[in-house]
Amino acid sequence: MAKPTGFLEFKRQPPSKRPVNERVKDWREIEQAWPEVKLEEQAARCMDCGVPFCHMSGCPLKNVIPEWNDLVYRKQWRAALELLHSTNNFPEVTGRVCPAPCEAACTLGANDDPVTIRQIELHLVERGWREGWIQPQPAAMSSGRKVAVVGSGPAGLAAAQQLARAGHAVVVFEAHDRAGGVLRYGIPDFKLEKWILDRRLNQMKAEGVSFETGIKVGEDISVNYLLRHFDAILLAGGARVPRDIQAKGRGELKGIHFAMDFLIQQNHRVAGDTVPTAAEISAKGKNVVVIGGGDTGADCLGTALRQGALDVLQVEILPKPPAQRDASTPWPLWPYMLRSSSSHDEGGERRWNILTQEFIGKDGRVVALRGCEVEWKKAENGRMSPVEKPGTEFEVPADLVLLAMGFTKEGNAKMLNGCGLATTPASDPVLDRNFMGSVPGVFVAGDLNRGASLVVRAMMEGREAAAGVTRWLATKA
Amino acid sequence: MESVESIVKRFVVSAMSFGSISKEAHETVAAAMNRLGASSNSGEGGEDPRRYKLLPNGDSLKSKVKQIASGRFGVTTEYVINSDELQIKVAQGAKPGEGGQLPGHKVSEDIARVRHTTPGVTLISPPPHHDIYSIEDLAQLIYDLKCANPKARVSVKLVSEVGVGTIASGVAKAKADMVLIAGHDGGTGASPLTAIKHAGLPWELGLAETQQSLRQNGLRDRIRVQVDGQLRTGRDLVTAALLGAEEYGFATVILVTLGCTMMRKCHLNTCPFGVATQDPRLRERFTGQPEHVVNFFHFLAQEARELMAQLGFRTFDEMIGQTARLAYNPADFTGKAAMLDFKGILEVNGRAASQPVTCQRTAWREGVECFDDKLIAKCAPALERKEKQVLDLPIRNVHRTVGARLSGEIVRRYGPKGLPAGTIQLNFTGSAGQSLGAFLAPGVTLHIEGDANDYIGKSMSGGRIIIVPPAAATFTAADNVIAGNVILYGATGGEVYINGLAGERFAVRNSGARAVVEGVGDHACEYMTGGCVVVLGPTGSNFAAGMSGGIAYVYDPTGFFDTRCNLDMVDLEPVRTDEDLTRLRTLLERHIKFTGSAKAQQILEQWESQLAFFVKVMPIDYKLVLERMKQTPHREDETVSATEEVYNDGEADGLSGI
Repeated sequence: MAKPTGFLEFKRQPPSKRPVNERVKDWREIEQAWPEVKLEEQAARCMDCGVPFCHMSGCPLKNVIPEWNDLVYRKQWRAALELLHSTNNFPEVTGRVCPAPCEAACTLGANDDPVTIRQIELHLVERGWREGWIQPQPAAMSSGRKVAVVGSGPAGLAAAQQLARAGHAVVVFEAHDRAGGVLRYGIPDFKLEKWILDRRLNQMKAEGVSFETGIKVGEDISVNYLLRHFDAILLAGGARVPRDIQAKGRGELKGIHFAMDFLIQQNHRVAGDTVPTAAEISAKGKNVVVIGGGDTGADCLGTALRQGALDVLQVEILPKPPAQRDASTPWPLWPYMLRSSSSHDEGGERRWNILTQEFIGKDGRVVALRGCEVEWKKAENGRMSPVEKPGTEFEVPADLVLLAMGFTKEGNAKMLNGCGLATTPASDPVLDRNFMGSVPGVFVAGDLNRGASLVVRAMMEGREAAAGVTRWLATKA
Repeated sequence: MESVESIVKRFVVSAMSFGSISKEAHETVAAAMNRLGASSNSGEGGEDPRRYKLLPNGDSLKSKVKQIASGRFGVTTEYVINSDELQIKVAQGAKPGEGGQLPGHKVSEDIARVRHTTPGVTLISPPPHHDIYSIEDLAQLIYDLKCANPKARVSVKLVSEVGVGTIASGVAKAKADMVLIAGHDGGTGASPLTAIKHAGLPWELGLAETQQSLRQNGLRDRIRVQVDGQLRTGRDLVTAALLGAEEYGFATVILVTLGCTMMRKCHLNTCPFGVATQDPRLRERFTGQPEHVVNFFHFLAQEARELMAQLGFRTFDEMIGQTARLAYNPADFTGKAAMLDFKGILEVNGRAASQPVTCQRTAWREGVECFDDKLIAKCAPALERKEKQVLDLPIRNVHRTVGARLSGEIVRRYGPKGLPAGTIQLNFTGSAGQSLGAFLAPGVTLHIEGDANDYIGKSMSGGRIIIVPPAAATFTAADNVIAGNVILYGATGGEVYINGLAGERFAVRNSGARAVVEGVGDHACEYMTGGCVVVLGPTGSNFAAGMSGGIAYVYDPTGFFDTRCNLDMVDLEPVRTDEDLTRLRTLLERHIKFTGSAKAQQILEQWESQLAFFVKVMPIDYKLVLERMKQTPHREDETVSATEEVYNDGEADGLSGI
């Protein structure tokens, strides 16, 4: 164990963020590094629980957190990093964008502030890169098998790395022009700068993974084609069909976009690509309304502010969660509570219990949004449902409306059925314990399997599916 | 159907000492169990007498069961009489064959006070009870306890292992009222791994063997059976009942209801939920409430009740021992496990089959008569009006545990301070039986002219025992063995003067008594934690083994004492300081006063020259702690520990100033 009394001696110290007025002017990362001595203090707060909840009910990847905290405290950085990499392919990604369910489950969090697990992870891996400890680990011998991975998001990349290290020849197909999937085009640079991704992709290329970008499986090439040329295919294309809104004016008015289209375009711009003027979605000088109170909505908020929006309003139909962990989700459960991202410190306004009724247009473009407040009541079927509150109708100017209301599983099902895979009535693919679908040799992992979720869950699925692929291949003569 | 409220009365919370767990946790458990009408257990760490009073809200923090473990920590007369059950812990499931260990950093001032030890000094309970080396000795201890507190039932805690049935039968014959079978996976976060793994057996096996052995020997009708060791669910309870247990113990699961998350930091004192720690910063974090325990037990009883209904039993009593209703499903056992044979557990043959399956006694406990019953009647003037009394009586070795019940009566009436010194003077002539002066209370002087058997002054908490040879004896007193083995075991106060030699293990686990003796056998002052011992003659080997507190002075004209002393935990020093000189001289003078010892007289006559032959045995940790305490000028009276009692107590005996 690190230090038995560490949690009594040191307070939790979250990393500091760059000042708002500085950071909204650029697209660089927001968080600032700590000195290492502080990191050891923070690691010393780990209590090395007899029953560690951080990886039991916290981390989907089952990162062995107490063990590497101990090593960090003892300054055995390299050993700590090896341990971290043994369960997590991309700590530099989860160290930046993970909401850290491990910290929500940290035992210390039951009656104190949890250990800053995510920060320790991030600093550990960054030190590894700096010191040159992270080198390609090509497989010792080849299995002679070829595996196609469709999609290069967190699930696809984690799977590809695991498969390559298991000795398979891996080709990753990506529809966009660069590999990375949601990590590259979904997450804004101020949360995850893209050179971080390139650094890891270079390691993977050196390990023998080849990337075929700009190829849409199902359009440019078929699954059947892949099946003829590969021993196994892993579909990890993500949850890509966004949920749409049913409100008057949605169909006919311009200026209403899906969040992902908006974010992807900005990421292209930051990457130095030119965006055709006709297709441009910009918040500059506009009144922006973001519909949806989740992480994607927050990313839209931060991006819009950086583009120079006049004003940003983020609305959410659900009620405002309590500021602290709600009693309905006691430790070590994932807490129901108000979450604020760094973007919320930067400006804009948030409102809850808001139902969008109508988009008001002028000359074919949206200019305002009409909505009202709702009350959540138990309906006859026992489910909570929103009821409009009379007299609360309002209208706000809206030149740009961004829809960030999640992704549908029905969209996934359509994609999966298109590949010939069977799905359940709940739109989940029918998978065996190896993550293999109803077509032999076709595997599914990540958001395409479970619906939109966390990066860390996608990585977990990618790793497990890769193991499943390897197991299955071993049974084939 | 038997109600939940009735079923929960069979539940007990197994022993967890105040020391291993925090005051808050210990008291919450006690309050909860008292609300349920069930019982909690003090554990082996004694109990703060303040808990014997009811709280304003009607809660009682008293543990109904008081444990008598090998360390005898805090086993005072007051402790013994304030109990409904006295539990002799022969072994515990968490660490079969070992005693409890409380690391020094968990021994806070409060704990040291209750345990009559020194704060900061590690406490190790000896593996065996030094007064139990045979089943007869166990019977003697049971008798001692029943003498001291005639109202309590006495139970014996054993660990599930091969042959436990035989021991349980012995326990029944020794007249215990209940035998507890502890499973191997019981407790404790603080035990060393070597003690947790590969030791003991599951409770199911031990319980089945106990039930069968007791029936085989025709003893089941006279003793109740309790089981513990990670019982968790209603199904566990029903299984235990069908195998023959009448009462059910829980510990870990109760701590979990109170906030334990199985941190396994009990030995480090860093429990972040304030359960198994003494650190005040962490104790503040304790959030457990008696309601949590009460709820848990209600749910548990309800689950057991539902299963009971499915089995067709109306009450627990009907269900207990109906082993025929248990079966096993061969489909659950594959591979190597398929070779298991359950017949030995599930089938009952031979003589056992015709025997009762539960305890048939109607009384909760089996009473005993003792010598003191007459004494109490004779001492009525002293007991009722504090009048001075002197009685001259003959004594024989069939008179065991003389003084215990009388002392219990004194403490019941006058509290732990008892009567003024010398109120009751009992002059016996003859050969005293075992456990003379056990649990002796302040105010009683036992003067024996003759000799005495083993266990003199066992757990005495005050008073005085004087043993001298018969006046007509022709031998030299200082060369003659006059007192038996294991004297002052677990004593917390009082004084003993022996004009002659004593046996082995003199003053073992003494934590407050003063004694002068003219020679001892092996292992004297073993595991001693307090008090003061003067030996005016030869000692056996292994003196002061495991001694962590108190002081001994040994008169050693041979100069070989260091070869017979176990120097692991003590230093040997000359007697030089004024404090030492005064203390030693006063004790010698009193020895002469009470016994007329010729040897002490000789030494005092040549005091200056003989002083050089005295060696002071000083525990190393104890010395450090005493020095630290002297540097702390302000202390609350509440936390005055037993350590200072060594120095300051005894005003009543005219010993102030030493």
